[in-house]
Amino acid sequence: MMSDQIQKQNNPEITKKDLRRAGVRYNFMAVNLFNYESQMGPAVAWSLAPILRKIYKNDDDYQAAMDNHFNYFNSTTVMSSMILGATTAMEAKDGIQAKDAVQSLKTSLMGPMAGVGDTLVWVLWPTIMGSISGYMALQGNPLGAIIWLIANIVFWFVKVKMFEVGYTSGTKLVTSLGSKMTLFTESASIMGLSVVGALVATVVKVQTPLKFQFGKVALALQSGVLDKIMPALLPALLTLLVYKLLDHKQWTPTRIILLVIVIALAGSFFGVFKA
Amino acid sequence: MSGIQILQDILIILLAGYMTVDQNGLVIMSWFPVIVGTITGLIMGDLHTALVIGGTFQLMMLGVAALGGASAPNYGLATIVGAFVAIRTGAGINAAIAVGLPVGLIAIQLEVLARIICNFLAHKMQTDTNNHEFGKMRREAWLGPLLFSLQTALPTALVVLVGPQIVKFILTVIPKWVTNGLTIAGGMLPVVGIAMLMHYMPVKKFLPYIIVGFVLAAYLKVPVLGIALIGFAGAYWYFTSESRKADTAAAATTANNAPVDNDEDDYDE
Repeated sequence: MMSDQIQKQNNPEITKKDLRRAGVRYNFMAVNLFNYESQMGPAVAWSLAPILRKIYKNDDDYQAAMDNHFNYFNSTTVMSSMILGATTAMEAKDGIQAKDAVQSLKTSLMGPMAGVGDTLVWVLWPTIMGSISGYMALQGNPLGAIIWLIANIVFWFVKVKMFEVGYTSGTKLVTSLGSKMTLFTESASIMGLSVVGALVATVVKVQTPLKFQFGKVALALQSGVLDKIMPALLPALLTLLVYKLLDHKQWTPTRIILLVIVIALAGSFFGVFKA
Repeated sequence: MSGIQILQDILIILLAGYMTVDQNGLVIMSWFPVIVGTITGLIMGDLHTALVIGGTFQLMMLGVAALGGASAPNYGLATIVGAFVAIRTGAGINAAIAVGLPVGLIAIQLEVLARIICNFLAHKMQTDTNNHEFGKMRREAWLGPLLFSLQTALPTALVVLVGPQIVKFILTVIPKWVTNGLTIAGGMLPVVGIAMLMHYMPVKKFLPYIIVGFVLAAYLKVPVLGIALIGFAGAYWYFTSESRKADTAAAATTANNAPVDNDEDDYDE
């Protein structure tokens, strides 16, 4: 491609090794310098420190560029690898003049990219892998966990590579990917929601040992009534309750967890629920 | 205490510390209970018990994600601590839940604390950069992973060093209905993650797929992998048909307009 040649002309010193090093640094540090003020900012600055040193020979320019990267940043690592690769290409080409363009590209892309990346990387993938390997683990089978571990190793190399992809293909790919990614996330949500439906029925466990006594005849509430209406009726109702509670800001996940524990303890004490 | 037990203690504390650094960066082992549980089991020499505990916490954790700087209960830490106590004291899986779950919940507070402390580090790094002390800034950054590793290493060390005997004693004192109640809670808790998951995802738009998944699992007893495959079929169909629609729409607009030169917004050409 054209872009390669131009970048090589302007900056013969940026090698594949430099790009890989920046990718490795970023995909190691990521959230390991997280703070509530600038979030991933310091990790971005630290990761780009060696490659920017190559671009900026002058100490003042280097300091200004680094200072810029200490600003607030937060996105999914796989996506931000690509964003940062693209901004590095901008800085390699235009030097410190690119500072404001770098900042605005980072700010405008991190939000949408995080929305896509977080759903896929932190929600859908762990849910599908977690439910499959979790059931295997319950039977003492480590195979699911091992496959998951290997997949994560492969995925790490992909994340590092993304920095290079962002650098060589520049801002064009990163911005145009946005539209396709929305459709991709929606499709992935379809797969995710099918699994969610299955999880409600299988993973959430609520059972009652209560019995109705009609003279000599006993009717078990669980097997005689609830299961006849619909299998996994109580789990479905509990899911609906928690889903509705989450609509309210004051019901944080941690509070709901505590609420569930209290309900379970009370249910155990009065014999309404059984394990 | 035997030599092998001391070695196990050290490895467990190191594993707990490394877990957070990995979760924050590499995401290879991360805090996923089945993976963490497998490694804990290998260290403790009882893979089976650790896997069952890891699997239990894994199902509780489904859908629970720490996104955009939010904190979530640390089920990975719960797995390490729970499996350690259960294997070392022989107290069983219920004990692992009774000990691991509270520790995983307390870990939220420690994470918040670590992130507040890290704010000072971030300022120090930036100040050093602006004073042209670049090497110093790069070295200081290593304090970050160290700090975050303490968030899980410290509570684990507490349980490992003073814990097992006390924990065993406490477990014998706790009434039956409490341990029973915590096991019931263990069965119910996955609901939180699943409901959170439903909040992230376009539930209203794709409601039929939830119902399909539910019916296949509840009535027809299809395993999760089978349902994931059916979901994949639906996703594939949606992606191809929608992108074809988008392509024809794009083609129609291009045909109507004059060819557009979009070179100006390309930074790299």
